[in-house]
Amino acid sequence: MRRKIWRLTIGLVLLLLLLTFTPFVIPMGSHHPHLFGIPYTMWMGFAEALILLALTYLGTKVHPGRDE
Amino acid sequence: MLNLLLIIGTLYVLALVYLTWIARDNDRSSANYLMAGSNVGSFLGLFTFAATLFSTFTILGMPDFFRVHGVGAWIFIAVSDMFMVFGILMVGYYVRRKIKESNTSYYGMAGFMQHCYRSRTAGIVVFLGAFLFLIPYVAIQIKGVVLFLDQAFPNKLPIWLWASLMLIIMVIYSELGGLKAIMYSDVLQGILLLLVIWVIGIVCLNRLGGVSQMFEQVHRVDESLLSVPGPKGLFDFQFLLGSLIGIVMIPFTQPQVSTRLVIMKSHHALYRTAVALGFFAILVILPTLFIGMYGAVHYENDSTADFLGKTLITDQLPLIGVLVLLGLIAAAMSTADSQIFGLGAEIRSLLKGEDDHALRSTRGAILIFAVICLVFSLFSPDELVLLARLSFTGTALLAPMIFLGIFSKEAARCSWMPWLTMLAILLFILSSFNIIPNKLGQIRTDLILLISLGGIAVIAGYGSGSRRVSGKSQGANF
Repeated sequence: MRRKIWRLTIGLVLLLLLLTFTPFVIPMGSHHPHLFGIPYTMWMGFAEALILLALTYLGTKVHPGRDE
Repeated sequence: MLNLLLIIGTLYVLALVYLTWIARDNDRSSANYLMAGSNVGSFLGLFTFAATLFSTFTILGMPDFFRVHGVGAWIFIAVSDMFMVFGILMVGYYVRRKIKESNTSYYGMAGFMQHCYRSRTAGIVVFLGAFLFLIPYVAIQIKGVVLFLDQAFPNKLPIWLWASLMLIIMVIYSELGGLKAIMYSDVLQGILLLLVIWVIGIVCLNRLGGVSQMFEQVHRVDESLLSVPGPKGLFDFQFLLGSLIGIVMIPFTQPQVSTRLVIMKSHHALYRTAVALGFFAILVILPTLFIGMYGAVHYENDSTADFLGKTLITDQLPLIGVLVLLGLIAAAMSTADSQIFGLGAEIRSLLKGEDDHALRSTRGAILIFAVICLVFSLFSPDELVLLARLSFTGTALLAPMIFLGIFSKEAARCSWMPWLTMLAILLFILSSFNIIPNKLGQIRTDLILLISLGGIAVIAGYGSGSRRVSGKSQGANF
C-alpha cells in the first residue's frame, strides 16, 4: 500500500511538473482571475509550491527507504 | 552608520570565532574535517542546506528580478525549488545507498564518479564542471556585496580590501574548523538571512498598504509585471524549463550541496531536512516579492544598484540598514565558503595516498580557490541572477553523467559519457559567449544540450543494464 501511495505521489509531482508549463499555471500575458487581489500566476504558483511541499511531506511518510 | 556596522560586525565576527572554537576537533582526518563525521541531524541539516542554497542571489538578485520581470520570478525560483526538494527526497536516497554499497570513502562526487566509471576522466570532468561554473558564481556574490558596501560607505575602503576581508574571515574559519565550523556558522547566517529579509519585506509591504494594494499599484505602473513572460519577455517556456532543470539538479551536481546530502546521519534526517528546506524556501523567497514590487512601484526606472541601495538601506532605519548589510555579508559568506570548501573536497576525492598528506594538499587547494575567487570577483561582470543561472545550467550538464554512474550497474562500459559531457560543457560555454549560436532554430542551445545528454544517458543506462539501486540490502545509516 505504501509503495502504491509513493508511486501516486511521484505521479502527482510529475503531473504538476507538466502543468507548470501550460497556461493552467502560466497563461501568457494574462493575470486574471485574481484571488484576494493577487494575480493569477502568482496565487497559482504559490498554491503549487504549497501542494509540492505537502506532497514532499507525504513522500517522507511513504518513501520505500523509510524503514532503513 | 559605519560605526554601528563596526560594532554589530565585530559581534558577528566574535560569534563566528566562538562557533569555530566549538567546532574544533582533535580528529583531523578527512572524514571528520571534510565530511563533519557524516553525522548531521535535521536541525543542522536544514540551516546548512538553506544557508548554502540561499545566497546574495536571494537578497539582491530576486527582488530585482521581481521588480524588472514581474511575478514569473516566483515560478522561476520558488516552484523550481519545490521540485528540487522533492528531488532530494526521491533521488537522494538512491545516491546515499549507492555510496554505501560502493564501500568507498566519499569525499566528493568527482572521486565517486571516478569509482563508478572506473575512469579518471570521469572524476576530472566532474571537478572541472564544478570549478568552471562555481568560481564565477562565488566571485559574483562577493562582488555583489562588495559593490553594495562601497555604495553604502563610499571611499571608506577600496573594493579589493572589502573583498579580501570577507575571504580572509571565510578561509580562517573554514581552515580551522572544517565543514563543522562552516555548518555551525550556517545556522547563524541562515537565521540572520531570514530575519533581515522578513524585516525589509514587511516594511515594504506595509508601505504599499498590503498585498492587494501592492498588486493594484503594480498594475498601474506596468500591467505586464503581473503575468509571464514579463515586460522584457524573459520568462518564456524555454527559460523556465531550463532553469527548473538546472535548479532541480543542484543537489547532485554542485559539490557544496551534494556533500550535505551525503553527510546526513540517516535517511530520516535527510527527509525531514528536505521538507523543512521547502518551507524555508517559501519563507525566504516570499518577502523578496514584496521588496521587488515595492521597487516596481517606487523605483521603476532606477538602476539595480540605486533600487537596492534605496530600498534596502536609505529607506530603512540605520539599525535595519546595518542588519541588511550584515545579512548580505552573511548570505554571501555562507554560500561562498561552502562552495570553495566543496571544491576542496572534490580535489580530496581525487587524491590517493596517505590521508594526512592528501588533507594538507586539500587545504592548500581551498586557499588557492579562495584567491582565484578574489581575483575573479574584482574583474567579473555584475549580472548576479543571470550568472547564477549560468552556474545552475552549467553544472546541470553533469547530471546525466552522474545519474548514469549512480543508477547503472555497468557505468564503466560507458566510458565515453564523461567525454561527451565535457564536449557539452565546452559547447555551452561557447554558446554563452556567443561564439556559437545560443539558439538552434527556435530552441536554446543549453536546453538542447541538457535534453540530448539526458536522453543519451537514459538509453545508455538501459543498454548497460540499469537498475534502481536496490532498497533491499542491509544497513542504512551513514
